[in-house]
Amino acid sequence: MLWLCIRLPALLRDTQAASERAALERLAAWAYQWSSHVSYRLSSAAEAAAAAAAAAPAAAAPLTGASTPPLLWLELGASRALFGEPAILLERIERELAQLGYSHSCAIAPSPTAAALLTHAEQPDGDAAGRCALTCDELRSRLTPLPLTWLELPAETLQALRSAGLTRIGEVLALPRAALARRFGPQSGHYLARLTAQASDPRPAFRLPESYRAHCEFDHELQQSSALLFPLQRLLQEFQGYLRARDCSVQHFALELGHHPRAAPLTAAALTAAAPPKTAAPLTAAAPVTHVAFGLSAPAREAERFLLLVRERLQSLALAAPVRSLTLTADAFTAPSIVQGDLFGGGAQRLGELSQLLDRLRARLGTQAVQGFHCRADHRPEHAFALVPPEQTRPEREQRAAHTPRGGTTRAVAAACAASSALSPAARPAALLPQPRRIEAPRALLAGPERIESGWWDGAGVVRDYYVARAADGARLWMFHDLADDAWYLQGLWV
Amino acid sequence: MDTFAQDPTAIATRAELRERLAQLERGGGSGAGGGGGHLGHRGNAGTDGGAYALPSGYAALDDSLAGGGWPLGALIELLCDTSGIGELQLLRPALVRLARAGRCIVWVAAPYLPYAPALARQGLPLERLLMIRCTRPQESLWATEQALRCPAVGAVLGWSTHIVDRSLRRLQLAAEAGGSLGILHRPAVAADQPSPAALRLRLHAAPDGLMLEIRKARGGRAGARLHLTSAHLGVHPGGRTTPAADPDAVVVHPSAGAAA
Repeated sequence: MLWLCIRLPALLRDTQAASERAALERLAAWAYQWSSHVSYRLSSAAEAAAAAAAAAPAAAAPLTGASTPPLLWLELGASRALFGEPAILLERIERELAQLGYSHSCAIAPSPTAAALLTHAEQPDGDAAGRCALTCDELRSRLTPLPLTWLELPAETLQALRSAGLTRIGEVLALPRAALARRFGPQSGHYLARLTAQASDPRPAFRLPESYRAHCEFDHELQQSSALLFPLQRLLQEFQGYLRARDCSVQHFALELGHHPRAAPLTAAALTAAAPPKTAAPLTAAAPVTHVAFGLSAPAREAERFLLLVRERLQSLALAAPVRSLTLTADAFTAPSIVQGDLFGGGAQRLGELSQLLDRLRARLGTQAVQGFHCRADHRPEHAFALVPPEQTRPEREQRAAHTPRGGTTRAVAAACAASSALSPAARPAALLPQPRRIEAPRALLAGPERIESGWWDGAGVVRDYYVARAADGARLWMFHDLADDAWYLQGLWV
Repeated sequence: MDTFAQDPTAIATRAELRERLAQLERGGGSGAGGGGGHLGHRGNAGTDGGAYALPSGYAALDDSLAGGGWPLGALIELLCDTSGIGELQLLRPALVRLARAGRCIVWVAAPYLPYAPALARQGLPLERLLMIRCTRPQESLWATEQALRCPAVGAVLGWSTHIVDRSLRRLQLAAEAGGSLGILHRPAVAADQPSPAALRLRLHAAPDGLMLEIRKARGGRAGARLHLTSAHLGVHPGGRTTPAADPDAVVVHPSAGAAA
């Protein structure tokens, strides 16, 4: 076993998380991409507070009175084949931690206890190999010169050792273990055995949550949606780590922008106060939240892609109130091997490029702004097609091959397409007005009439005679004489 | 200066496009355009920096254009004040080729509703057609640029009544990056303003079809006038559609004042 320990002296400040546990679990989910055994320990202060809250003595009360920061461990032995030299992986993890904005120090050792202790000694600019103790011998020589006070032993034990003239960890390790245990209790002996990787040192394994939730709270209110981008960048990076760890992708995620309770619509609060018996919403209602849902045209897991979408959306989002907190959630995930239907056919690369374009357009312009076309079997021109999400316009043969549950309907639609062209042997213009526009009766007609009489069954029946005419400016117009109201309408253009 | 030629990814896109087009042609493709024996022509060296061109489907027009067709990876301006004179028909053979080669055709903030049954009849695969609605001019500029940059997109049709030179340059660069046809409809008065577009065509309605005037053609013959009849454009006011235009029948009237 080989353990990488990350010491996080300013975790709460860095993450702006609500609690240390939430922050550690967020980072643990991120770290899971490199190790299937991730473990964490709260800071001594947080642990004491948790124990006090539970009104029970902490089972593993810290041996030492000194305060320890939150720690995160990754077991690297099992993933060594995957990620190569531990020193290289260590550098990579440190680089990413720095990018995410965590104050940290890291070390690698054969035991979690030793790795935690070595993070004290870490020099930020030293080379990574210097922070790695890969074998027990290396560990021993690395521990030897370190000060005695770094040992997580009870304060009185440390005091006794110091008064015996010892100053370095090496001197303590040189003492006979049995004598130490007799003198200071079995706990101390066990600790030293764990430290030197001579005793098993089990750590509870963190389990990846089934759904993702990351939350951060700001010290100050963010007025501009652009100010959210920085914290979002980190949230999405961590989210990417989680997706990698689970080896899955996501198609939908959501952001919740929490506003200050004070910013709740004052009128509502005033009403509540004025008529307390009638109100359904209590005065202590949770802070108002702006919910922003994101949908991608195809599952993805790249933080950059998410960020692009989020940025586009935030640009067009007018904040109703200053933002105090940010929550990223996702609960439906897709295994990457499952291809989500061959949108538009063609190569995988083209598919990816196109779905990125669609995502970007929709994020900025809205879901309804991007549409594809579909034919329907109907004689009425305005009913002979439908605007649909582009993903639903796959050609018939691909849809057949896919054997989707929708197979029946898609085949019907394909048949409708063929039928509609069979239904209308006459030429149709390539451009339609959004609504037929009433016009004066034309003086000269180029062609027609073509009678279209249809739709009596759905209450939108038409009886029309269609004609082609030329406008004064040379445009060729498609118009009809509505026999129901004896009026003329312009419906299309021969573009 | 054709920056496109220096961009290896763009070249890959074009090479890929050409290959797919060639495959289609060999595979007994429908010959929707009916132009030359191969689809993507490399332009004459020295005239257009080696950019690829896509046959327009109209031989006389191709003769007047550098590389023998619409310049791929460039902005093309259609200058006219009237909609409904066959301006889409002019592009149809090229759009059909692009769409059948697997690239999308995108309408951005079109002043009309593209009519799917008619487009399908004209040979455009509906699953390759996209329509983007925008409410503000800035949005449509942005969407046009995004679509042009996407290598999966073959052509973008945009409309602009008022566009500044800087935006035009952005669109031109986007089209270069994506290797696509950037078709921009502009009012006729814009013809008097300079533009970075590779090709600028002034369109007039003609009694029988469409009159083209080449205002600017990078490496081609500016000043040429062409008359495409309704028959060539595949539109019969009488209500019949010819499936493919006959490219050789296009009448060319080289303008006497071409040098001016």
